Amino acid sequence: MAAVKETIDTVAALEKYEHGFTTDIDQEFAPKGLSEDIVRFISAKKDEPEWMLEWRLEAYRRWLELEEPNWAKVSYPKIDYQDTYYYAAPKTKEGPKSLDEVDPELLAVYEKLGIPLKEQAVLAGVEGAPRYAVDAVFDSVSVVTTFKKELAQAGVIFCSMSEAIREHPELVKQYLGSVVPTSDNYFACLNSAVFSDGSFVYVPPGVRCPMELSTYFRINAKDSGQFERTLIIADKGSYVSYLEGCTAPMRDENQLHAAVVELVLLDDAEIKYSTVQNWYPGDPETGKGGIYNFVTKRADCRGDRSKVSWTQVETGSAITWKYPSCVLRGEGSSGEFYSIAVTNGHQQADTGTKMIHLGANTKSRIVAKGISAGKSTSTYRGLVSAHPKAKGARNFTQCDSLLIGKTCAAHTVPYIEARNGQSVFEHEATTTRLSDDQLFYCQQRGLSQEEAVALLVNGFVRDVLQQLPMEFAVEAQKLVAISLEGSVG
Amino acid sequence: MSLASALKTGDVTELPSRRDEDWRWTDLRGLVRVLPESAPKFDGQVAAGPFAGLADGEILFVNGRHVSTNGQGEVMALRFVAATDKTSQGASYALVVEPGASLTLLESHEGRAAGYVTDVALDIAVGEGASLTRIVLVDDDAEAVDVVTARVELGAGATFNQTVLTSGARRQRIETHVAHPGAHAQVRLDGIYLLNAQRHADQTTVVTHDGVDGVTSQLTKGMVADQARGVFQGRIIVQPGADQTDARMGHHALILSDKAEIDAKPELLIFADDVACAHGNTIGALDEEAVFYARQRGIPELEARAMLTEAFVGEVVERIEHDGARELAAAWVAKQLGREE
Repeated sequence: MAAVKETIDTVAALEKYEHGFTTDIDQEFAPKGLSEDIVRFISAKKDEPEWMLEWRLEAYRRWLELEEPNWAKVSYPKIDYQDTYYYAAPKTKEGPKSLDEVDPELLAVYEKLGIPLKEQAVLAGVEGAPRYAVDAVFDSVSVVTTFKKELAQAGVIFCSMSEAIREHPELVKQYLGSVVPTSDNYFACLNSAVFSDGSFVYVPPGVRCPMELSTYFRINAKDSGQFERTLIIADKGSYVSYLEGCTAPMRDENQLHAAVVELVLLDDAEIKYSTVQNWYPGDPETGKGGIYNFVTKRADCRGDRSKVSWTQVETGSAITWKYPSCVLRGEGSSGEFYSIAVTNGHQQADTGTKMIHLGANTKSRIVAKGISAGKSTSTYRGLVSAHPKAKGARNFTQCDSLLIGKTCAAHTVPYIEARNGQSVFEHEATTTRLSDDQLFYCQQRGLSQEEAVALLVNGFVRDVLQQLPMEFAVEAQKLVAISLEGSVG
Repeated sequence: MSLASALKTGDVTELPSRRDEDWRWTDLRGLVRVLPESAPKFDGQVAAGPFAGLADGEILFVNGRHVSTNGQGEVMALRFVAATDKTSQGASYALVVEPGASLTLLESHEGRAAGYVTDVALDIAVGEGASLTRIVLVDDDAEAVDVVTARVELGAGATFNQTVLTSGARRQRIETHVAHPGAHAQVRLDGIYLLNAQRHADQTTVVTHDGVDGVTSQLTKGMVADQARGVFQGRIIVQPGADQTDARMGHHALILSDKAEIDAKPELLIFADDVACAHGNTIGALDEEAVFYARQRGIPELEARAMLTEAFVGEVVERIEHDGARELAAAWVAKQLGREE
């Protein structure tokens, strides 16, 4: 009954959005609005080479020609792209050489969020506890990256994107934009023009990354957008597990987050990418404020037998528009997508995945669990397609939706395109509410209604939680319970 | 954007294209560059339809024009015949099933010409406690473009059963919209498509549950061979307040060739919480072990494959309530698969 105990403790510890604090930190901004000058400004701030600036300007020009997509089942007032700061960074003297030089205010933020930035702090835990390296991104810049030395010994490059552009231009040039091209879609294009920072990972052939890598994104500044760009390259036969977490303060204004994540996998490589997304969801009563989370994530399984696994727990954001995809190009490559999307209050989530089978004997698996409560809407939108050359392709998809309350909505919109006679696609979806019988059973045994709901919901999403790395799974379980607080009765 | 409006105005830009989300797999705009001239009045004799002998009466349309209505009864044949090559035609028909009444509609779309473009719109109202069974047999020319749209509204406690049997056309869409504002409606929406050569068939359904306690059971099965393309788009909408809805949708298809294609979009849009909705979708090849088993027992390969396909879609045939129509559907399946006696 340990699980029950844990659930009860979790529920007992419930509070509203706990990462909603703001930090008064000396920051430096680019002027509001977006223009070629702003793009130049960002590029100059980052001390970028000429080719990078050209790349950005090209993206910006294309962005001007694109139209904002409107096919998702989300509605929001028109975004004024000129009313946002595209660059906000904590002021620093020279660029900190070590953690001691980082603004203590900033360190306090991460301590409050429970993110271990001090390497010894990680080690201070239980002996043999798993360690993970952190890249902390605060608004537009990466503040600190831990364990770099130890990772470098294994040959793994883990640094901020700005650093990668300076230190490893050959890798960046080769792979940046090769998975998500500049003009892929409206938000990816905007990101390409103004992206400020993000993480860069390169794992050399045959290396199993010695620890979990993670990036922690924090939006702090008012009226600013966050546009990070992550690029992970897993060379032949390598393995890396990468975690991503995000939070933002509570504000009445909506803030834009348009990120791009590119994963490149060569022969026999494997990437496990986990996200716990907990951006500020807006006021649960009025729907005011919250983050617009418009993200493009894609993995390109170029190599034979490569494997990518996306796991996401989406509990935050006012609006989520996100479809982590797998391009299964290499023979025998496989893609997995495990997702929990929890919406409450006035949140809207339109999320899912694309599994594009191009190579022979490619496999994919999709398990998506959506939970809607309050006045929220949650949509699963997915595409599974098999090219004529993808002989022996195999897909299994399961999407289940759970509705809590009379005013929420849950939608399932899968697209399946089969173009050869030797592949097998299976898809099943269900939509139900929490079973009265099960609730009654739990309450009969002395659980309160909220405890019972949390317990049943955790059972509903168990398949996905099991895919998360340990530390994240505990965190995610709590998050799911917190997000659903106040949704019953 | 519809074929009907394009036929009315003669403007091909009115045709739905790939850019229209609901038509992405059934592109008319890209196929029809010029609309053929309007079909003339047909004076010749029209041979008996596929349901002859099963119905009490017959309503006949030829080249988009109503020609005759003979007889009356609980089983009626509704025929749409295209009789002139390379022409276009549009027809519409409204049908009311009175409260408490029961009707079996045996509808056939008969291509007796080549390369025609045809649009049929049906408006059906099923009264309170009434029951309608609609069996649709579509037998189009390989070069035809055919769009059939039926809008069905159900009164409280009404029952609507439908089975569509089609062998496809150059481009074909059989679209059914069912709404039930009243309570306790029962809907069965089935389909079979058996396609070869370069044929295309699109079965699109939209069921909107407005009233409480509605039940929808949907099963579509299909087979595509050669370069054929099968499309299934099923949408079930449960509106706020439509509690106790029980909706199940299934689409299962076989692809027998590497150049064939199946596209499916089974959608659930749920705005009420006290519901049970599910859909299942599978696409794959015939089970090679089953084929091997049959061959081991002396059944030639082609026949074994046809037999297995027949058994696969047989489940849909079995669900037809009307005895005569069920037998006819079984015979139609056998014929399409080249297994006639």
